[in-house]
This record gives sequence, C-alpha cells and structure tokens, in this order.
Amino acid sequence: MAYSLSLGLLYLGLLCGNGLVSARSELFTPDPSRGPHFTGCRSREQETFRCWWSAGIFQNLTEPGALRVFYQTKNALLSEWQECPDYTHTVKNECYFNKTFTHIWTSYCIQLRSVRENITYDETCFTVENIVHPDPPIGLNWTLLNVSRSGLHFDILVRWAPPPSADVQMGWMSLVYQVQYRVRNASHWEMLDLESGTQQSIYGLHTDKEYEVRVRCKMSAFDNFGEFSDSILVHVAQIPSKESTFPTMLVLIFGVIGLVILLVLLIFSQQQRLMVIFLPPIPAPKIKGIDPELLKNGKLDQLNSLLSSQDMYKPDFYHEDPWVEFIQLDLDDPPEKNESSDTQHRLGLSRSGSSHVLNFKSDDDSGRASCYDPEIPNPEDLASLLPGHSGRGDNHPLVSRSISSIPDLGVQQTSEVEETPIQTQPAVPSWVNMDFYAQVSDFTPAGGVVLSPGQLNSSPEKKKEEENEKKIQFQLVSDGAYTSENTARQLSTEVPPSPGPEQGYQTFPTQAVEGNLWNGEYLVSTSDSQIPYLLPEAPPAPILPPVSDYTVVQEVDAQHSLLLNPPSLQPAICPHSPNKHLPAMPTMPMGYLTPDLLGNLTP
Amino acid sequence: MGLSVPAVAVLLVALLCLDPHGRVGSAPICAHGPSGCHVPSLADLFDRVIQHSARMHSLSNDLHSEFEQYFLPSKNHIGKIYRKCHTSNILTPNGKENAQKLAREELTEVILKLLMAWRDPLFQLHQSMAHQQDFNSFSSNKALEMGDMAHELRKGVEKVAEKMRVLGMLGNSVTGLSAAEAMLPLSDSGEAMSDYELLYCFRRDSNKVQNYLKILKCRIVPEHDC
Repeated sequence: MAYSLSLGLLYLGLLCGNGLVSARSELFTPDPSRGPHFTGCRSREQETFRCWWSAGIFQNLTEPGALRVFYQTKNALLSEWQECPDYTHTVKNECYFNKTFTHIWTSYCIQLRSVRENITYDETCFTVENIVHPDPPIGLNWTLLNVSRSGLHFDILVRWAPPPSADVQMGWMSLVYQVQYRVRNASHWEMLDLESGTQQSIYGLHTDKEYEVRVRCKMSAFDNFGEFSDSILVHVAQIPSKESTFPTMLVLIFGVIGLVILLVLLIFSQQQRLMVIFLPPIPAPKIKGIDPELLKNGKLDQLNSLLSSQDMYKPDFYHEDPWVEFIQLDLDDPPEKNESSDTQHRLGLSRSGSSHVLNFKSDDDSGRASCYDPEIPNPEDLASLLPGHSGRGDNHPLVSRSISSIPDLGVQQTSEVEETPIQTQPAVPSWVNMDFYAQVSDFTPAGGVVLSPGQLNSSPEKKKEEENEKKIQFQLVSDGAYTSENTARQLSTEVPPSPGPEQGYQTFPTQAVEGNLWNGEYLVSTSDSQIPYLLPEAPPAPILPPVSDYTVVQEVDAQHSLLLNPPSLQPAICPHSPNKHLPAMPTMPMGYLTPDLLGNLTP
Repeated sequence: MGLSVPAVAVLLVALLCLDPHGRVGSAPICAHGPSGCHVPSLADLFDRVIQHSARMHSLSNDLHSEFEQYFLPSKNHIGKIYRKCHTSNILTPNGKENAQKLAREELTEVILKLLMAWRDPLFQLHQSMAHQQDFNSFSSNKALEMGDMAHELRKGVEKVAEKMRVLGMLGNSVTGLSAAEAMLPLSDSGEAMSDYELLYCFRRDSNKVQNYLKILKCRIVPEHDC
C-alpha cells in the first residue's frame, strides 16, 4: 500500500520534472531541436551554484531578458517563486546563486519562463549536494621511483593538490581522486582506483615511451566527477645497459656443451649397465620344481617322469572321485530279455552270441586310456554282436545316430537310437568318442545290469585279449554308495542260478578268470551262478551324472572283500602304449563289501 | 515445596556468597593512571566519530543508489522533487556559514536530535527491506548495519558531548537527550513513508550529520586552517 503510494508520488514527479537536471549528468550541450530548456546546473564547492539554459529553436528568444529563471526552495518555510538572484553578465544565459541563496540539503525547483508570453518552457528540481562537481586538482607532478634492472620499466609517483575552491581542511568536502594515464596519443586511458590521498604511484611504465597523466576528483559518497586536470607528460629515456651479456651467453653455451659431452661419455662407458637398468631382461618362464634346462635338453622319459610327478598333471577326477568306473562289456552271453531297454540296445553287444568281447576298458591306473588304443572295432564285428537283431542287415542298433529310425528294429529301439554313447556309429570317431564308462542304472531281475547311457563317451577298446576273454568285466556303478547288506542279500536271492541269456545285460562273469585282464577288476566267485551283484543305490531309469559315479572294482582279495582301487600295476599290460606313463592311481584300500557280505552273496 | 525452609535459606546464602558478581566489584580500567592505558583525546574521539559518520553516509548512499537502480530503472534521476522528511521539522543550518555561526551546544544538540530521530525509522526500514523479496539479503544487511551504526554514532556523539562538557567547552545549555523524543516517520499526509523516501531522507540527514561533526570538530579542536 505504501509502496503504491510512493509509486504514485514518483509518477507525479515525472510529470512535474520533465526537463530534469540529474545529479549525475551534465547537460551542457543544448539540444537544438528542443525549445528553451536548461542545459545544466552545477556547484563547484557546495556553497554556490549556477544554472545555464538555452533558447533552443526559438531564436526570437535569444535576446537577454526574454527568458527568465525562477526558482523555489522547497523546504518547510519558503514556497514562493523567486527570480534568479543574479544573471551573470559575462556569461550568456547563466544564473548564479551565491552563498546567501544556496541552501544545502534543500530541494530547488527552477523554471524557465518567458514572461512576455507567460509560458514555462522548462522546469527541473534538484538538491545542491547532488549537483556538486568539484574543480580539478592542481599541481600535478611526478617523480621517478625506480627503474627496473633491465632498464625497460620504471615506476613513478604522481602528486597533486586538491582544488583550492574545495574546503577540504575543514572537511566540508571530502574528496576522492582518480588518476588516469595513457601512452601519448593513444586512444584508451588506463584508470587507477580511487585515491583519497593526494598522491599515487604508477607502476610498470615502459621506458622510451611518453605517457600522459591526468587526475580528477569527486565527493566521496557522491557520483559526480569534476573535470580533468591538465595532463602532464612522463618520459624516461632508456639507459643503455652497460653490462654486457656476451660473456654470460658464452659461458652458458660452453657449459651446456660440456654437459652434453660428459653425458655421452657416461652413456658409452656404462652402456651395458645402463641397458640393464633401463631395459631389464624379461624373466624366462619358470615351472616350479623343474629345471628349465632339462626341459630344453632332457629326454622324453625323464621329462615324462618329471612332469608326471607334478601334481598338476594328475587328472583331477582322481582326486575328486576315486571311484573310477570302467565298463567292460562281455559280449558272450546272448541277451536274456526280449524286451529291450535302452541300455541293451545301446550296448547291443550282449545280444550277440558271439564270443566277441568288447572291452571298453582302459588301464586301471588311469581314468583315461593309458593302455588305450582307440581301436575301432569293425562294423561287421559289431553287427555280429547283435544276433538278436535279425533281418536288419546293415541296420543294427549300433548304427549311428544319423539313422534315426530303423524300421526293422522294434519300437523300442527307435528311442535308443537317439541315445548316446555306446550306440556308436560305424564310423570311427564315434567309437573313439564314446564314453568309456557307463553307469549302472538298474538291475534286471535276472541279475543283469542296466546301464544308463549318458556317460558313455569313452571310446571302447578292442583289446587283443578279447577273444580270450569270455566274460564281461563288470563295472560297478555307484554313487559312492555301498550296497547294504539287505539289498545284497536280496540280490543274492534273486539271482537265478543261471544268468540266462539276458539281452543286453551285462552279466557277471560266472567263472573265475585267471589272470587279470587289466586290473583284476572282476569279481571272483566260486560257483557258476554266482554273480555277485551289487545294487547301486541309484534309481533305475535316470541318467546319472557322469564319471564320478563310477567306482572301479579292482579285485577281490583273499578275504573276499572288494578292492575298488586299482593297485598299481605294471605298464606291461599295455603294450600298445609303452610311452604313456600316466601317474599311478592312488590306492585306496577301502573295502566295498565286507567278507561277510560277500559270503552272503555267494551261497 | 519438598525442601525445608532452612535448606532453602542455606541455598540462598550460598548463592549469594558464591555469586561472582556479588563479590567482584567493578574497577575502572585505567585505574593506574594515564600511563596505564590510553585515554583518547577529544580530537581522537572526534576523528572516530567522523569516520563513523562517513561510513554511515556511504552506506546510505549505496542503498539509495541500489534502490534507484532497481525500482526506477526507466528514468534515471526522476527529478528530486521535494519530499518532506520527518526530520524536516528540526531546524538545521543549511550551509557552511550557517553551521559555523551556530553555537557549539546547538550544533551538538542538532546532531543528537537528528540521530535520535532516526533510531526507530531505521529499524523500521530494515524490517521492511528484510521482508520484501525484491531486496536481496545484502541490501537488507546493509540496512541493518546502517541502523546499528546510527545507534553507535549517537552513543559516540553523546560521549563526545559528555567529554566536552567535562572539559568545559560546552555550556550547560545543552538539554538532555531525554527531551529529544523519537519521531515517527510520517509524511505530509500522515501515512508511513515508503522505503525509498526513508532512504532518500536518511541519505540527506547522514550527510548533514557528517558535515556538522566536521564543523564542530574544527571549532572545538583547534587545527590549522580550520
């Protein structure tokens, strides 16, 4: 509310004071396009002031007396218009207010009137302290402070005196000064900060250049600068430097050259050492515990023994799971079951009444085939192994997977063809890639073992002794689980006296096998019908995880306990691979079955 | 209520006896004579007061310029039409000679009257500036500082007057400040003045105070060319 009122007052002021004389500007240049107007009012010392006007375009009013100035002091007391107390005679169109008529801190309003026509051409209002423009300082001079060592720059101290009209001793006017300088006849003046004293130093002037310096002043806490003082010229001649820089340069150059020579000499003398320091040799690869020289020069045997002694070369699964399983398929027995299960046909071999034994065995001392030759059985041999699949001709379940459907096969067989491993292709690689191990997934009532397919990726091996071998070496499947007594007993009760021709089942060898085919990995039983079964804990059908589920029954020792760890045997068993020395399998003399159980199994 | 009367009495006695203010008496700082501490001379006092007033006037000028720039940007310097300030009723010398002709006591009194008259309006100004969002905090801080300075200046001038009286430079015709009542800033129409008007008036009055102090000092403390 109050704010709006003040705004209203201000607008009123706008209307009244259109030709305004501001505290900041000097309007000395008359505007020829206008009518009669005030061109400015100024006070020099805050004790008197003057006002000037111009007739403008109204040239008929230029004669003196045509235009008159009236003023009014707006304070509590006076409010009537009075005419200008003194029209200056020497200066045209000037009105002078002397000390008597000058009231500081009082608002004045002056009007320019033409009395004859009774027209007010212009009016302006001001207070005296706001129109003070001090006179310029006097007595400007300079003194040299110093010259730089290079003789290129110098500093000066500039001094002046306050204007005599200003009463600074009493402090009626407190002045601040501003110094400006420039290179002579340049266009731009350098301005220094306001200075309340009467001297100022200027730094960084160039010798051999002429400078102009001037100063002006204003009242502190007000904004109106006075006029500039006259400029003074500053010039310092450049003193030619007496000291010669020549020897310094020479010394410098020679010093640098000497240093360079010294450095080169140093480098050349200490070349080798420097090479070592800056380009250190890259260390040769090192295997812990192995002499690199041996690697370079040693014989292969030594190397093998050396490397085999390293832990890292042992296959991991020896450590993870000592129960390595091996599958040995004995293809002597004809298949007992007409109904085919997956594994039968996968194996396929049990059907054959041939005496071929397909041994998918490997050395006992390694999980991988040490005595292992990727011998590929002939497809004919395979075919002969499958007598049950009559009328198939070339088609037999062992045919590769690429034959997805064999029409002559039973329905049961179709599914098996997709099965993986032992139904390998007649082509070589599939045999080679066939898994060496199979996991027993189920037991037939007849006592055969049903293998699950998944892990049969080791290649079978057809050994030379397979003609001699009539039995299938059985691999026990386990998840690492033992058979319990009960189950073993059950098994034993279930076992029919004769293994009978079960199809596709692996049957245990019914007679003792003299000599160990490979690792003594078979069960020895005294009776014909004794087929000690070991029932795996695993459920019948599922595909069991690979290799780690197998254990290897190495031998049955004198106490009729099964040793599941292969003893370290001579590599002479494996004549085909004399050079493959694989680390011996660690023996783990853990019995799989106690002698009691074994006794139970063998009635 | 839980305490018995003797206990309360004991407590009271303890408080009174142990109260540091009760035991320590105030001693004058310069008890050891003029060598103990520096007693400022009248000239020093005047200088300090004059510096203070110059600073105050500078502040008021800054605020006024800011206000003008901010609120009246279109027309620089709208003609300074006459504004009646609330201190216009105080008779003040309007020129150097008039001030020099005035008696010291009257001059001192005028100064004190002016400063007293601005005590409340400056506080009011700061309040209104602080509340308006148009002013930034810097301006309102200046207004606050200005008000504090006016207050301190008044105290200083009172001390100077006291010293002058002690030194016998002032007669006893100086009326006590109790007579100078604080005036309400009212314009002609009786309404409260706006911020701009207050600033304008205070700028003028602070300039007055500064110049009066200078004149007074020149008359009291004899200096060259004064």
